[in-house]
This record gives sequence, C-alpha cells and structure tokens, in this order.
Amino acid sequence: MFCTQCGANNADNAAVCVQCGRNLQPGAGMPLPATGVVMPPGTAASGIAIQNYLVFAILATVLCCLPAGIPAIVYAAQVNGKLAQGDIAGAQKASDNAKMWCWISFGLGLAVTVGSVLLFMAGAITGLRPH
Amino acid sequence: MIKRFLMVEGANRWLVGAGALALVAGAITLRMFDPATAGFFPPCPVRYLTGWYCPGCGSLRAMHQLLEGNLRAAWAMNPLTVILLPFLTYGLASHALYEVRGRGLPRLFLPAVWIRALCAAIVLFGIARNLPLHAFQLLAPGGIVRP
Repeated sequence: MFCTQCGANNADNAAVCVQCGRNLQPGAGMPLPATGVVMPPGTAASGIAIQNYLVFAILATVLCCLPAGIPAIVYAAQVNGKLAQGDIAGAQKASDNAKMWCWISFGLGLAVTVGSVLLFMAGAITGLRPH
Repeated sequence: MIKRFLMVEGANRWLVGAGALALVAGAITLRMFDPATAGFFPPCPVRYLTGWYCPGCGSLRAMHQLLEGNLRAAWAMNPLTVILLPFLTYGLASHALYEVRGRGLPRLFLPAVWIRALCAAIVLFGIARNLPLHAFQLLAPGGIVRP
C-alpha cells in the first residue's frame, strides 16, 4: 500500500510508513472528510499522495499525439475525484489504470518514432542507389 | 519482469537519469533540426492515418521554435503546447525530485472537475482546428502565420 502522507510504497501489512513513520493502520490518523475537500492529507506537503500521472497523461496526449492519452487523463481525474471522496482503494485502482494508459501511449509513440526514423534511414539509403 | 526490475532499490533513479538524458538529447536534436523540414521526425499517427489534426499536431515544431526563442512562431504552431509546457515542466521536475529525494515540489491538488475540463478543452481544441472555417483554421499548425 501507499502511504497517505508521503506516498511511499509500503508492505500491505505495514503498521507504519517506512519513509515518514505515519501510522498506516486503518482508522489511524486524520479521517478524510467526505465532501468539499480539495486537499487530502499529505498532498500539500509531498505533492504526491497517490499519483494520478496527469503530467504524463497530458504529455502522452499532446506530445505523442495519441488518443491513448485521453483515457489516461480521464483516469487521472478519477484518482483526484476518489481521493477527495476519501476512497483510497478506488483512487489506487484509477491510478493504476492511468499509469497503464500512459505506458500504452508511450509505447505506441515510441513505436511510431522508431518506425519513422527507420523509414527515413531506409529512404536515405535507397535514395543513394542509382536507378 | 519489468515490475520486478523497477522494484529494485534505486531503479527509479536510473529511470529518472535515463529520462533526463533523453530529454536533453531530444532538446538538442530539436534545437538543431526543424521538424517542419528535417523529415526524420515522426509524423503524427492521427494525422498520418486520418488526415485530421490532433490536439498535439505541431507541438514538436512549436518546441523547436521555442528553443529558437520565437514565441510567436511557436504559438502559431500549437498554442496549447505553449500554454501547457511550463506546467508540464514543473510537473516533470516534481516527479523527478520525488523519485530522487522522496519529496516532490509543492503542488496544487486539482479537483477532478478541473482535470475533466482540461481534458475537454484538449479534445475541443483538437476538433476545432479541423473545422473548415477560417477562424478555426487559425488554430491548425502554422495557421496564424499563414497569409
């Protein structure tokens, strides 16, 4: 599980966070208020509680030019929505999905880039041949 | 297997290092060659397959112009990229710092509605630049500088 204070990855049965020492047992610490909260505990201090991968999702959409980035952004929104509701497990699930779509987009983008460079090189080589 | 590799202590630092190297290499390549004329830059798959502009079309050319210091030309290629780039840079730096020292940069927690609005804005921008109206075509790559 991920620490709700600093985001560090801990063993699922850990009692306290290995990184910041926060009590990880259920019911410990501040309960997340149900509504109207935009700042779950820890996000202000660390910037990352459960990663939503929004930066990578936008990069994938705008720079890889790939529609696969859109689901990544939608899942990123879901992460923050569920975090605000206090649904840590749901947020983690959405976070995993966002990450997966970022990787899909990145992989497709990489494939297109490599293919394009190979095609260019092939073109340059065949272009040198006399007809 | 990749997951196991990534869970090795310190693997994330290598990832950050590799990412930073790739960024610098990319920036140098973009500074040296203009994607508009160089020929070996990857075409946008969406544009290649469908003939339509996607929200990111022109982003490489925009970044080339930014690296040359031409903000106006960059804006003409892809205004969305120019607007988003500072935020993306900050976010990337925060992620990198988080992996290296365990703490990112201070960040705003964006409510889900904001992210959905941003997503909608990106999609609408992508649609608008394909509409056959002059005002919208100004949003297509190179549109604003076109006579």
